[in-house]
Amino acid sequence: MRILVEYTREERVKYISHLDLMRCMQRGIRRAGIPIAFSKGFNPHPVMAFASALPVGVTSEGEYMDIELSQPMSLPVFKELLNHALPKGITVREAVVTDEKTPSLMSLIQRADYEVTAEKIDWRKACAAYAYTSEIWVDKKGKKGITTINLKEGVEDIRIDEENPALLHLSMKVGSKGSVKPELVINEILKLSGQTPNPEDLSAFRLSIHRTGLYLFQEGEWITPMALKKD
Amino acid sequence: MSHGRGIIGSVLLAHKTKDETFEGGTLLDKLLLDQIMGQVTKPVRYMGNEYNMVEKDISEFSIRFAFAFPDVYEVGMSHLGMKILYHLINERSDAYCERVFAPWVDMEEKMREAGIPLFSLETKTPVSQFDFVGFTLQYEMSYTNILNMLDLAGIPLLAKDREEEDPFILVGGPCAYNAEPLADFVDLVALGEGEELIGELLDLYRGWKQSGHSRRVFLEKAAKIPGVYVPGFYDITYLEDGQVASVQPNNESAPKRVAKRIVRDMDQVFYPDRMIVPFMDIVHDRIMLELFRGCTRGCRFCQAGMIYRPIRERNMDKLLELAERLVKSTGYEEISLSSLSSSDYSQLEDLVKQLMKRFEHNRVALSLPSLRLDSFEKEFIEEMQKVRKTGLTFAPEAGTQRMRDVINKGVTEEDLVSTVSNAFASGWNGIKLYFMIGLPTETEEDLQGITDMARLVKDCYYQIEKEKRQKGLKITVSTSSFVPKPFTPFQWVPQDTMEQLREKQQLLRGALRIKNVVYNWQDPEVSYLEAVFARGDRRLGNVLLSAWKNGARFDGWSEHFNMDAWMKAFEENNLAPEFYAHRRREKDEVLPWDHIDTGVTKAFLWNQWQMALKGETTPDCRMDCAGCGITRLGEGLC
Repeated sequence: MRILVEYTREERVKYISHLDLMRCMQRGIRRAGIPIAFSKGFNPHPVMAFASALPVGVTSEGEYMDIELSQPMSLPVFKELLNHALPKGITVREAVVTDEKTPSLMSLIQRADYEVTAEKIDWRKACAAYAYTSEIWVDKKGKKGITTINLKEGVEDIRIDEENPALLHLSMKVGSKGSVKPELVINEILKLSGQTPNPEDLSAFRLSIHRTGLYLFQEGEWITPMALKKD
Repeated sequence: MSHGRGIIGSVLLAHKTKDETFEGGTLLDKLLLDQIMGQVTKPVRYMGNEYNMVEKDISEFSIRFAFAFPDVYEVGMSHLGMKILYHLINERSDAYCERVFAPWVDMEEKMREAGIPLFSLETKTPVSQFDFVGFTLQYEMSYTNILNMLDLAGIPLLAKDREEEDPFILVGGPCAYNAEPLADFVDLVALGEGEELIGELLDLYRGWKQSGHSRRVFLEKAAKIPGVYVPGFYDITYLEDGQVASVQPNNESAPKRVAKRIVRDMDQVFYPDRMIVPFMDIVHDRIMLELFRGCTRGCRFCQAGMIYRPIRERNMDKLLELAERLVKSTGYEEISLSSLSSSDYSQLEDLVKQLMKRFEHNRVALSLPSLRLDSFEKEFIEEMQKVRKTGLTFAPEAGTQRMRDVINKGVTEEDLVSTVSNAFASGWNGIKLYFMIGLPTETEEDLQGITDMARLVKDCYYQIEKEKRQKGLKITVSTSSFVPKPFTPFQWVPQDTMEQLREKQQLLRGALRIKNVVYNWQDPEVSYLEAVFARGDRRLGNVLLSAWKNGARFDGWSEHFNMDAWMKAFEENNLAPEFYAHRRREKDEVLPWDHIDTGVTKAFLWNQWQMALKGETTPDCRMDCAGCGITRLGEGLC
């Protein structure tokens, strides 16, 4: 039985890394007594997979993981047991059964949406600077060293909230090669618009980044992974 | 910088307007903290909020206890004593124990820049607002971190400068048996096992806080609790050559000698049935099941083997029950059977089988961190292997039988041969061997013996038929430099000089250039300083302070160890490190720690030292009582 889980990562646990999160979920599942399936082979490991990694320091209300159970279980019970066994700040919002043949979440997700708030930043200036620049080349540190990328190719959409000028909506492209961290975009557009943070004054911006969800593109529209639910 | 409030004190004032206040005092500027956490490596170290972290309502009556580990999170969180005392104190409704670790250097820098004082993980409360700050002393090279943490907290470094609103600084743990180098900085020392003592201390504190009496009154009352040592209540005089002349109490409440506390019944004493499960990967990330305390082997170099006497086992049923509850409450995938010499547990075979039976289905692995060669049987290896293969480590400690007799390590070459042969036959291909160099009476022959043992292990591997052994043999030989410790039979012994130790390492590096063998060693500088502080006296407090001011911290981390800072500190205070490390003490010398009673008598230790010189061994004390003196601390202890 394959279950797709939608969960949150709140303020109090926002500094855990992707690796920490995977370990935390494994242990949570063990504590909950959920019958997770194990892979075959010399070194069996629990069958679970995650969607796009959440950057350290970012909160989220739309995280996803896929897990395979060795025996069926009712979804409400699954949700309750797991929520009881997870650290506060990681909460399962929904769990659905998906088709065993569904490709991995990692390969499906194409977009990640963020809300960015900060103090003393003029987002209009920042967005204008972004709009007037055709290419923004930056160094990206990865496993294979530093590569130079055009930030603009990693951004799906960037816009200021209609009601709250302190809130920026940022949509990032997610692909098989990973994605660009929202923080990198913010830094660059601040630089472009002459709002470079002063390293002497740490409290200057009080930046906060929140992921609102992950999306995939199917049959001409953006859907959340929860739409993969098996009928 | 003065010895007083330090840098943070003044910076804090500048930020005061931003702080929120609550009943317990002033809170941190959490937004500011959040900003700096976004700029440091592994911010999860400072986040807290792990599963099983204790959260409590705080009232003005709560006793706030900060359990401080003078190293980074991943090291401190691996420490069993902290897990026990944390949950024990938090059992009390009138107290709240929180954790504090040394911030890594990048975090420290940001904290100082932003004026954020040292804070607790649970509630992010500045440490200066706690009632107690209890540091655990696990190794000498963490002492500068203690000073640094006090400074970051804005707590006066010197006990004599602390005032009514300052916390009491308490230390415990193995190095607390000779806490003299820290005497100027601490208010109280807890000797021995803390489970009962801590409760008595908190009870006393509750009454004292209501009474409104002075700090001194509290210390005087505390000094009457068995196992509590108040260094400030003792005067030390010195002979002209620097030796201690006398140690005299200067306060009526202080006993002439302070004896350590001992937990009598391991089945009755508190043991947590849940443990904090860290998010980050820590050094020992598993359930620790403590089988027993103490050790009966009597290895003469081993301080733990002397200071944790007598042996006290937990009942197997109790252990199984604890294991069951801990597996459920933590979700850990591994249980480590933690004790000084776990394979000496009287029902080990049964225990391992039972644990296997109970946990095999949910894939919980077992590991034994401390194995002795002689008790490691083939069947046992296979039993453990059912779940997961863990590394094999053996510690013969010395290369020849003569040397092993001197240190009373009752392990023979035959033991090694049979054990590693069994291990290789069972599919292991990697073995780690631990030795010490610089042991008393060591000769070149003893060093040669280390190489011989490595070759012997290699031979054992090739004795196994090719089809039956696992490919890729790797033998890792590690040597550490011997550090004579107080309260051991070698407490009178000079440590080898760094030149001698380096020569020995050089010799081994040549001799161990063998295929399939890797040799690990470390420069003896750190061991040298350990030797100085392990057997140090109170005068070293100034050296510590100078070294810290010269920039020393995280001295146990090779990337931060700064020998120059230390050598300069000795010079500045006109003290010679050789006096502590390289001097042979005489039988009648007053040792700086003679007023501390671990139960084991000085006469026994001296006798053991004399026997060592003759190469005479002492049997395991389960076989035959050697009369160490521990029974003086209570009838029926062993």
